[in-house]
Amino acid sequence: MDKVEYLSPEAWSQWHTELLQSTVNRAYNRVPFYRKRLEEAGLGPDAIESVDDLAKLPFTTRQDIAENYPYGLFSVPLRDIVRIHTLRSGQVNPIALGYTKQDLKRRTELTARFFASSGMNQDDIVQICLDPGMGLHGQDLKEGAELLGALVIPPDPVSVLTRIRVMVDFKTTVLVTTPSYGLHLLEIFKERNMPLASLNLRMMILLGETLTDTTRQVFERELDVETRAAYGIFEASGPAMAYECSEKKGLHMALDHIIPEIIHPETLEPLEPGQEGELVITTVTTRANPLLRFRTGDITSLQTETCTCGRTTWRMSPVKGRCDHVITVRGVKISPEQVGKLLNQAAGGRDLEFLIVLDKWKHLTQVEVLVAMDGNFFTGSLPELHNWIHDTEDLFLEYLGVKCRLRPVELRTIAPFVREGKYVVKREDFERGENR
Amino acid sequence: MLHIRNLNARYGPIQVLKNCSLHVDEGEIVSIIGANGAGKTTLLLSISGLVASVSGELKFMGQSLRGLSPDKIVGLGIAHCPEGRQLFSPLSVYENLMLGAYARKKAQKDEIEEDLEKIFQLFPRLKERMNQTSGTLSGGEQQMLAIGRALMARPQLLLLDEPSLGLAPRLVETIIQTIVDLNTSGMTILLVEQNARKALEISHRAYILETGRIILQGRASDLAEDSEIRRAYLGKDYKDLSER
Repeated sequence: MDKVEYLSPEAWSQWHTELLQSTVNRAYNRVPFYRKRLEEAGLGPDAIESVDDLAKLPFTTRQDIAENYPYGLFSVPLRDIVRIHTLRSGQVNPIALGYTKQDLKRRTELTARFFASSGMNQDDIVQICLDPGMGLHGQDLKEGAELLGALVIPPDPVSVLTRIRVMVDFKTTVLVTTPSYGLHLLEIFKERNMPLASLNLRMMILLGETLTDTTRQVFERELDVETRAAYGIFEASGPAMAYECSEKKGLHMALDHIIPEIIHPETLEPLEPGQEGELVITTVTTRANPLLRFRTGDITSLQTETCTCGRTTWRMSPVKGRCDHVITVRGVKISPEQVGKLLNQAAGGRDLEFLIVLDKWKHLTQVEVLVAMDGNFFTGSLPELHNWIHDTEDLFLEYLGVKCRLRPVELRTIAPFVREGKYVVKREDFERGENR
Repeated sequence: MLHIRNLNARYGPIQVLKNCSLHVDEGEIVSIIGANGAGKTTLLLSISGLVASVSGELKFMGQSLRGLSPDKIVGLGIAHCPEGRQLFSPLSVYENLMLGAYARKKAQKDEIEEDLEKIFQLFPRLKERMNQTSGTLSGGEQQMLAIGRALMARPQLLLLDEPSLGLAPRLVETIIQTIVDLNTSGMTILLVEQNARKALEISHRAYILETGRIILQGRASDLAEDSEIRRAYLGKDYKDLSER
C-alpha cells in the first residue's frame, strides 16, 4: 500500500502547489519553448500561487511536441537522458520522448503500484498481449510486473494460437490486453472448442481502449475472472496513469505524478468535477520531458470525492470518446490526418480523397481505407496499381503499427461522405450510404 | 506539521526567497539543498521569525507563524540551531544549555532538569565539560552544545542550519548520527546542510533551492541518484562519470 494514495485533500493541495511551482520553475528556466509560451501569456515563474492557478498556463499539444522535435522540450541536458522513445505524431516530425534514469524508475514503480492495487502479486504469471503499436506501454507493463516479482510473458510477436498455447501451458493467471483483443482470444478459444477449464486465468487487466460494461460482463461471466480497467497515454506516465481499485467505481489517477483537469474542448475553459470534457494532464515529477497542460483529446469526467476503498486520489470515468477524429484500433491511435499524409507520401505528393471504413472481425477492429483513384494518378496499368497498393499497405503498417487494407474506388463511391467532411465511417453506415 | 506556501523573503531591496512552498510532516527529516546564497539559511530564519520582510503563508500545526515574535515561535515548539553555533562563549556549557530553556516557565523546573539529563545522555562530553566556558570547547563539542541548547526548548520541530560546517570528518559522522538518533526518538527535523550527500543519506525528503526558488523536490533517495543533483551538489565523484 502506498500511503500517498490516501493523502487528505489539504495535503494534495499542498503537494500539488509545491510540485507545480517547481515544475513551472524548471520549465521556465530550462525549456525555451515553455518560457516563450509563458511570457506570451504574460506569466513568469511566480504565476503559480496555488494549484488553482494551473488554469492560467498555456496548453501543450501533440503538435507542439512534434514541432519541437528532437530536443526542444527536454528540460535536462542530453547526457542525463538514458532512453528516447519515438512515436508517430501525424505531423511531419515524429514525437520524441526522453527519459532520465529517475523518470524510468518512477514509471516502473508507478506501474508496479498499479498492478499491486489491482490485486496482482509475485505469485502471478502475467501475460501481456498487445499490438506492436502499443509497444511502449508493453515495455512499461513488463517492467512494472517484473518489479512486483511476478513471472512475466511480454508481448512477443507471435500468432494468436501461439499466445493461447502459452497461456494454457504456462498457466497464465493474469492477462493484460485490450478489451477487443481479449474478446478476440475468447472467440478463437470457443471456435476451436478448447475447454475454458484449461485456462488458469483469475484476472484480466484491460487497457488501450474503453472497457464497456457489456464487455466486462462477458469476461467475468464466461471466463470467471476479475477485471480491472486502466488508462494511460504514451506522452505522460505510461499505462498506469489511472487504474481501477477493487470497487471499480472509476479509475484512480496517479495524483502524485500528474495533475489532471477537464476542459471544454471548444471554449477551453476548465470544467467542474463531474462535468464531461477533454482530459488535460500536467506532469509534475517528469524530469526530461515535462508537459504543462497537455491536451489528451480524450473525453471523460473527474470525481474528486474519496472512493469507498479509502483512496483519496481523484477518479476518471471510462473514456467516452475523442474530441478530434482520432480512432483507436486495439489501443493504437490513428488520425485521418495521418492517413491523408501517408497517402500523399505514397502517391508522390498528390492529395488523394479517402474514406476510412471500420469493420469488426471476431471483435477486432479492421481498418479499410478506400482511396479515390483520379484519372491523373491511375495510369490504367493494373499490375502497377496492385504493386502500389501492396507498398502502401506496408507503409501504413510501418507508420501506424496496425494493418490497414487499401481499396481503390471511384471518387463517386466515397463522395457523399467526403462532402460531409466525414473521414471515418462504420461498415454498416457506409453500405447504407452507398445504396442511397 | 509545518506548511509553507508562497514564501517571499527580502533583505531591503534584495529578494532572497521567491514563492517557495514546502512542508514537513511529523517524524520526517527534510533537507534543503542548495548552493551558497540560494536562500537556505534565510528560509530557516523566516520560519523562526528572524527575517523582518516576509510574505506568504507559514503554518505550524495549523497556526500561522506570521507576525509572531521569535520567542513565541519557540514557545510553539520550533527550535532553531543556527549556522556557526552562535554560542555565548564566555558562559559555561551549563549556562548555555539553560539559556535554551529560557522561554519555558519556571514551573517546568523538573521537566527542564529531566531534559538536561537527556541531553547529557545524548552528548556525554557536555556533561564532562559542564562547567567549562563554551569558548574553550572543540568545534564538534560546540556543535553538540548548540544542538543541546536548541533541544532544551523541548521543540517538536528542530531547525538545523549547517550542523557539520567546519567539522572534521569523524565529527561530521557523529553529528549526523546524532541527527538520525534524534529523529528515531521522534523529533521532526528540517535540515540545511552544505554536505548534500550526507543530508540526502539521512533525510526522508528534500527540496532543492536554486537562487531563491524551489526547482525540485522528492524522496531523498531519488534525488541522491539524480544526475543533475549529483553534478551540481554531490561533488566530484560524479564528475568522472558525467564527463566521459
